[in-house]
Parts: sequence; structure tokens; C-alpha cells
Amino acid sequence: MTLLLILLLLLAAAVLCCPLEKVHPGSSRALAIFSLLMTTVLLFGYLWAPRVFTVPATLADLWWDQLNWAWIPRFGIRFHLGIDGLGFLMLALTLGMGLFGLWITPGQIRQRVGLFHCCYLLTIAGVVGVFTALDLFLFFFFWEVMLIPMFLLIAIWGYEDRTRAAIKFFIFTQASSLLMLAAIVALAYLSYLQNGEITFSLQHLAQARLPLHTQYWLMFGFFIAFAVKLPAVPLHPWLPDAHTQAPTAASILLAAVLLKTGAYGLLRFTLPLFPEACSAFAPLALMIGVASIVYGAMAAYAQQDIKRLVAYSSVSHMGFVLIGVFSGNSTATLGAITLMIAHGLSSAALFGMVGKLQQRFHSRNIAEMSGLWATLPRLSAVALVFVMAAIGLPGLGNFVAEFLVLVGSFPSYPWLTTAAVSGVILAAMYGLRLLQRVFFGLPHSNQVTPDMQDLSRRELAVFSCAGLLLLWIGLYPQPLLSQAKEWVEVIHNRTIENPANYTPRRDGDSRLKGSEAGY
Amino acid sequence: MIVQNLSAITPLLILGGGVVILMLQVAFFRGHRGALATTLLTLIATTTSCLFLLRTLPTQGHTVTGLLLVDRLSLFYCLLNIFTAAIVSAIGFHYLCARLAGQSEKPHHSESYPEAFYILLLLISLGACTLVSANHFASFFLALELISISFYPLLAFSVHGDRSPLRDQMLSLESGFKYLMTSAFATAVGLFGIAMVFTASGSLAFSTQPLTSDLYQAGLVLFLVAVALKLSLVPFHFWTPDVYQGAPTPVTALIATLGKSALVAALLKLVHTLQLFELPIINLLIATLAAASMIIGNLLALRQQNIKRLLAYSSIAHLGYVFVALLLIDERFAREAVSAYLVAYVLTTLSAFSIVSLVADSELPHTPGGAHPLQDHARDPFQRAFYRGLLWRAPVLSIYFIVALLSLAGIPLTLGFFGKFYLFSAGIQGQQWWLLIALIAGSALGLYYYLGLILDLLKRQDSAVAGDNRETPEKKPDSINMLKPAGCQKTSVTDRPESIALSGWLVLLLLTILLLGFGVYPSPLINWIIAL
Repeated sequence: MTLLLILLLLLAAAVLCCPLEKVHPGSSRALAIFSLLMTTVLLFGYLWAPRVFTVPATLADLWWDQLNWAWIPRFGIRFHLGIDGLGFLMLALTLGMGLFGLWITPGQIRQRVGLFHCCYLLTIAGVVGVFTALDLFLFFFFWEVMLIPMFLLIAIWGYEDRTRAAIKFFIFTQASSLLMLAAIVALAYLSYLQNGEITFSLQHLAQARLPLHTQYWLMFGFFIAFAVKLPAVPLHPWLPDAHTQAPTAASILLAAVLLKTGAYGLLRFTLPLFPEACSAFAPLALMIGVASIVYGAMAAYAQQDIKRLVAYSSVSHMGFVLIGVFSGNSTATLGAITLMIAHGLSSAALFGMVGKLQQRFHSRNIAEMSGLWATLPRLSAVALVFVMAAIGLPGLGNFVAEFLVLVGSFPSYPWLTTAAVSGVILAAMYGLRLLQRVFFGLPHSNQVTPDMQDLSRRELAVFSCAGLLLLWIGLYPQPLLSQAKEWVEVIHNRTIENPANYTPRRDGDSRLKGSEAGY
Repeated sequence: MIVQNLSAITPLLILGGGVVILMLQVAFFRGHRGALATTLLTLIATTTSCLFLLRTLPTQGHTVTGLLLVDRLSLFYCLLNIFTAAIVSAIGFHYLCARLAGQSEKPHHSESYPEAFYILLLLISLGACTLVSANHFASFFLALELISISFYPLLAFSVHGDRSPLRDQMLSLESGFKYLMTSAFATAVGLFGIAMVFTASGSLAFSTQPLTSDLYQAGLVLFLVAVALKLSLVPFHFWTPDVYQGAPTPVTALIATLGKSALVAALLKLVHTLQLFELPIINLLIATLAAASMIIGNLLALRQQNIKRLLAYSSIAHLGYVFVALLLIDERFAREAVSAYLVAYVLTTLSAFSIVSLVADSELPHTPGGAHPLQDHARDPFQRAFYRGLLWRAPVLSIYFIVALLSLAGIPLTLGFFGKFYLFSAGIQGQQWWLLIALIAGSALGLYYYLGLILDLLKRQDSAVAGDNRETPEKKPDSINMLKPAGCQKTSVTDRPESIALSGWLVLLLLTILLLGFGVYPSPLINWIIAL
């Protein structure tokens, strides 16, 4: 019920935002922050709820909390929400970064403030639905629902080229998700032919036994939709535009949360539904991952626009996630989940930082800034910390995550992993270039204006929260890993099936069996 | 037996009676409101009789003289037709009132005959309700002709007066004439096809098993070409945009919804009684028409600047989508999927055209008259330029429009999504992979222009609000107007939602609630359709 309460709270607050803003300007922002705080409190209530920690025997035992109502009986579609360790981490990231995005950008939205917060909360509500839906149809429903308010955020409050960016964003995601819809329906139909019962429930569909080539096609439908969201390299062109043109708060939401829905979809749906196809596809997926890492990093190095640079660095980092997800190794998968969280924090902070720069200089061009450390020491320090996090400095979260991914996937794919390591070096190149050009060196004479404000204490505090979280993940990632472990075990041991009729399906694949000793 | 037969066709009798009563009423008491009241009463009576029949009718239906088969499916479509007709009569009333507003109060002195609109509307409903019950090529053809012949004057319908620009009257005359030409051609082709079918099979009833003789197949192909012409499937679509653009907007809504849905329903019946999917040539023909309509319809819509033309091309594409489900061999699911999609399509299209019509009505007093096309697109309520930034001028109206567009695009939370979901299910069940790919590609193309339109609605105006510089555009040369960013011009033309009558708002509210309500919780609708 708490899950429903979280959803309803966000929706109710979203609906109330518009009328409230008319009555009292500024109140919609307060309402949005309040509702996000409330939902965060509700969510963290789960940590203290009494739970029996057992190794889950079936998928049904895994969930901390479930809600399962009939929705469209004709197609066996159920309103089925559930939360587990992985879902909890993702929800915490969503709500936390939602708060971060609002806190870091006070007063940046001047027009139609109520509508802005309405769309913002609706996006978050859609993402919460995506991270909790256990019925494939419901998942698709939320998947689409989160798009529309995000589209509006970019199209109404974006920067100069917003219309094109918004259309590009929407069409890329929507067209690929139509493929996913076809795959979902086909999967349900094939499972209906086998069992005589039509259902879209993840638990039931995962038990369908499909021939490899069918699995391959269906997996492809899912993979493309998720790879667009991730984004993986040939499907990434929407990302730099959407990130650059979106207002800062929406950029933060996009980078920190929406990108993670793709990786989450791969983990939650693609891997358990199509295990054989995924392991057969793994080498290709890893190649795509390596291509994303290298291409993203090189493109980031070439950018003049700081926001585009950060956006391309996301492509690069998400390549590591793709490798971790598909390497078929628990350690690497755990690393991918850690990277999702760590990248969420660091990229959100970087976009926040770029937003601050844009606010002060009305420009995002690297060439127009230099030597900011002298005038804006706090902002520069913030930038230093998060750029270091992004390039994987040991002691911060991203390092742990990328290390786990690389260590985990090396035994199975030594050459591809070696190629992926180059991403760490390339990251250092674009990260240090950014720092050196913008923050170090001699200040431009025309840049220094006396009214240039450094970060206020409050803003510094918000940034430090994200920094401390990254430090915590970097120094002691175990609590986070143990939350995610349950689902990773489910993926790799196939405990998702009923133990009674469990048959080892991966006998031929010794790579995957031999790699359980990671953590 | 006769009593049973008559009771089975009470809806048709009531509609027919309504037409006669309305004609007599108009002959004695001219009156616009009175005509609307009689129309609505007739429609309500027909609905009641349909609902009554739904309870009493045996499941397999009731055959009336071999010409008609009244079953639950046909009654369902009768109800849909009547609903459409009721909405169109309300919108049409608004349309006619807006154009008659400046005229003298004594109606019999004027040269305009708005009452004829309702007579023709009822005749079309009668034709549509007969068409969905048709069980014989003769009744099929008669009903189709009744619809077409009533559409000729309705498409060219106009009322005279200062408020009715000559430009619109000329366009609607052109529209009626174009439809007359193509429709007459379709009739000829279709009749020829029916004659060939009759020669080959010796029967015109729908119950015959498929023959494989060449003559029979050729006859069916010709017949289907005629149907495709009426449904404006690619490559028989050339008349559509002109006819849609020129016709009075309520009539456009009518021809796009009722004119299509009734024919598709009849075709559904025909395909499954004759088991046409057994014939490879027919299968190929229908699949080609469908795929071409989806892709080319959407491609042609991409660059349309006129809203009505855009919606015309979009309706071509949507008709192509339906055919994915029509070819399904599983008759029960085909019925279900086609019906679900048609309901979604009809409600959405009605909603979209109603909004266009109401916007144009409310803008009418401020649109310059005359016979020449408007040079300034931002002041022509049928141009996209006019819709730029509408959300900030008329928020509620724009939200209705956005909902309708999202539903056309098939985005969740709207009924259109469930329609599309049904089509996906049907395509996968029938393993029509190529059609599915065309459906996905068409939908992706469709998104582009639906979104473009939504973005136009959302264009924010950063400049100051609506100074009343209404007179200035005429003084400047047009070329300068064209060069100016549309946002600046737009501020001069504020939308006037207050001039939309309550009936218009109610219609829009009803349609939007249906679109969103069934979009979130479609079970009642699905249960109803399954019970057919």
C-alpha cells in the first residue's frame, strides 16, 4: 500500500501545483519539495519494516511489499506493483535526485511555475511506476507515461533549440518502445499458447520456455527500447540535444533517473525473461558497450558546450553499465547497479554545476570561460569533486562501480574488458580538459564582474550531500551491494522459477556457472 | 414472422420515420431549433430501441428477408453511428448558428435552409445503420449509396449571410463536387464487381462459400477497390484531403467517422462470412492497401499546414491500421479488435474535428470574409499557424485538443492506446509481421506530426500579451507578415473561448472524459465489446 501511497501523493501534489501557484506564487515549489520529502520518508520506512531475510526461493518471496489488483481482466493485465532491494535503490535515487533537482535550481523557472512543477512531479511519478511495476503491460504504461511530462519539460521550458530536441527525444523513445510493445504482446501470446492462460505478469512470463531464435527476436525488441534509453551508441543521438536543451532541473532528472530506467529494464525484464538469448547476445552487447564508452568519451572530449560534454560523458558511463549487465557475472552486475547510483549522483551534480555556470555567464561555452577558481572558489571546488568522481577517482562511488564491472567481466571477456578500460583514461582526458580550461588558468578579463556571486551556503550544502553520498559509496559500498544482491542472485541463479520444476538451463554455458564467487 | 422482422428493424424504422417527420415539420414550421430537437429525439428513440433489441435478440441474430442480419454486432455499430450523429448534430448546430447569427430573426425570410442539414444527417445515419446490418450485396450497395448520395449535398452545404465567407462556400461546393465524381466512379466499379460476383456464384447473399474461379475473384477485387475508394485507402485517396478541407467541419467529422466506421464494420462482416482471407489475392490486396495507407498516409501528413488536411491524411493512416485486425482468421478476436479500434478512432476523430470546428466558429466574427484565400495564415483558423501558442490563449480547449492528439498518436492514458494495443495483439496473433512493421513505422511517423502540432500549441510567447493591433496587419504588405515570426502576429489574434456555446463545451467535455476514462480503465468498454 505504501507504494500506492507514494504514487498517489506525487500525483495529487502534481494536480494541486497549478491551482496553488495561482493562489500564492511560489507555493507549488514548496508543495513539490514537501511531497517529495514525504514520499522519501515513506520509502525509507521500508528499511525499518520487519522483514525476514531469506534466500528467496521463488520470485514471489522476493518482494518486500506488493500490490496486486486486477486491471484489465480481458488480457490478464494486473495493477501489480512490488518493491525489492533493487527497486528500493532506484526509488531512493529517483526521489533523492528529484529533490536535488528542485533544491539546486531555485528561481530558474520564471514562467508557468505551477505547470513546471506539475510536469516535474508527473515525470517522477511515472518513473516510480516504472521502477515498481511487475506486470509487463503496466510497466509499458508507466514507461510511456513518464515520457509525456518530460517531453513538456523540454518543449516548454527548454533553451533555444528546445522544440527539435523535444521531438527528437520523444520520437526516439516512442518508436523504440513500440518495438517493445510488440515484443511484450508477442511474449504474452506465446506464453498463452503454452499455458492457455493469458497474462502479462513478469513471474509467469519468465517461466515460458521459448526456442532460442524466438527469444532472440523478442529480446531484441526489449533491448532496443532499453538501449535507446540507456543510451547505447548507435541509438544515442537524442541524448546530447535533450540534455543540453532541457532546463537544469529536467536535465538532472534525465541524467540521474531517466537513463537508469533503461538499465533497470534490462536487469529487471530482459535478463530474466530471455536468459539464453541474453547470454548468446552478450558478446555483441559488450561490444556495443565498449563502443559507447570509447565514442562517448571521445565525443565528450570534442565538445565546446559544457552541458553537451557532460551529456556525452553519460553515454560513456552507461557503456560500463551495459557491460556489467550483460557480462553474465554477479560481480559485474553489482558493479553496474552501483554505477547507476553513483552516476546518478555525479551527473546530477555536474548538471547542477553547469546550471549554475549558465545562470552566471549565460553561456555554456568552454572557450568563453577561464580561471573561474579565482572568482568562484566554491563552485569550482564542487566542480572539481564531481569531475573527479566522474573520471573514477578512487574513494568515490564511480571508481568502485567501474572497478567491479571490469573485474567481473574480465574472466569471461578479457579483450573487450581491456578495451573498456581505455574509457577510464579517456574520461580523465575530457574531465581534466574541462577543469583546466574552465576553472584553472588566468581569468578572462571580461568574465570577471563584481556582482558575480559564488555558491551560497545552502547550495553548497546540497552539493555536499551528493558528494558525501558518493564518498560513502566509494568507501563502504557494502550496504548498497547487499540491497541489490538478492535480485542479482535471482538473475544469475534462475531462482525465479519454481524450485520444484527447476531445471538447469545453462548447462552448456560454463562461463556463467563458474562466476558466482564474485562477492 | 412479420412482427418479428419488423421488431428487429425498429431502429431503422424509427430513423426512417424521423426523416419523414422532420421533412413534414420543416414544411410547416421552419425553425432551426425545432429541427435539432426532432433530430435528437429521433436519435434518442433509436438508441432506446437498439438497447431494447440488444436484450431481446437471440445471440446468433435475426435475419430479415435475407437482406439484413440484425445481430449484436450490428446493433453495437448502430449505437456507435447514432452517437456520432448526435455529436455531429450538436457541433453542426453550433456551426450553423455561428453562421446564421447576423441574419434576421424571421427564418422564413432568409435564403438559408439550415433544417436540411439535419434531414441529410438522419438519412446518413439511416444508411449507416442499414449498412452495418447488411447481409447481402444488394442491401450493402443500397445502404452505401444512401450514405454517399446524402453526403453530396451535405458536403456542399452552406448557409448564406455575412458570417458565412464566400471562400468557405466555394470550397465546400468544390468538396461536394469532388466527392460526387469519385463516389460515382466507385459506385460504377463496385456495381461491376458485384455483377461479376453474381455471374460467378449465382447469388448475392453473403453466405456463399468462396469460389476460386477467376471471375469471382476479379469481381471481389473490383468490389474491394470500390470500398477502398470510399474508405480513401492509398492509392485511392486523392480526393480525401480536398473533400475534407472544403466541407463544413462538422460534415468532415461525419465523413471521417461515421462514413468510415460503418463501412469497415460491414466489411468485417463480409470478410468473415465469405471467408475472404482464404483467397490469397484478396489477402494480398487488403494487406497492400493497408500497408500503403499506413506509410503513405502518414508521410503525406507530415508537411501539411492545414489542420483539416492533416487530419484527413491521418484518417487515411488510421483506416490502414484497422486492416491489420480485419485480416485475422479468428473471427471473435477480429471483431473485438476492429470494434475496439473503431470506437477509439471515432471518439478521437470526433473530438479533434469538434475542436477544429468550434475554434473556427468562435473565430468567425473576426475572420475576414470574401472569396479569396486568406494570405495571413495566422488568422485562418484552419491553419497550423493559427494554433501556435493556443495553450496560453485558450488553455482548456487546448488541453482537450492535446488529449485528442495524444489519443490519435496512441499514447497511454488515452483510448487510442488501447485501440493500438488491440491492433498489436491482432497482428501478432495473425502473425502479420510485415503489417506490424508498417504499423510501427506508421505510428512513429505519425508521432512526428501529432507532436509537431502539440508543440505548436505549446509555443510560448515571450513577448507581451495581446495588444489589440488587429488592424495593423492589413496595412502592411503581406510579405512582411510572412517574414515576421509567427509569435508576434499571433498575439493579435486571441482565441475567444467565451464565444463557444455551452453545448460545444459539453460535447468536448464528454468526448474527452470518454477518451481519458476508457484510457485509464478500459474494462467496461472491453467487456461490452466481448459480449458482442
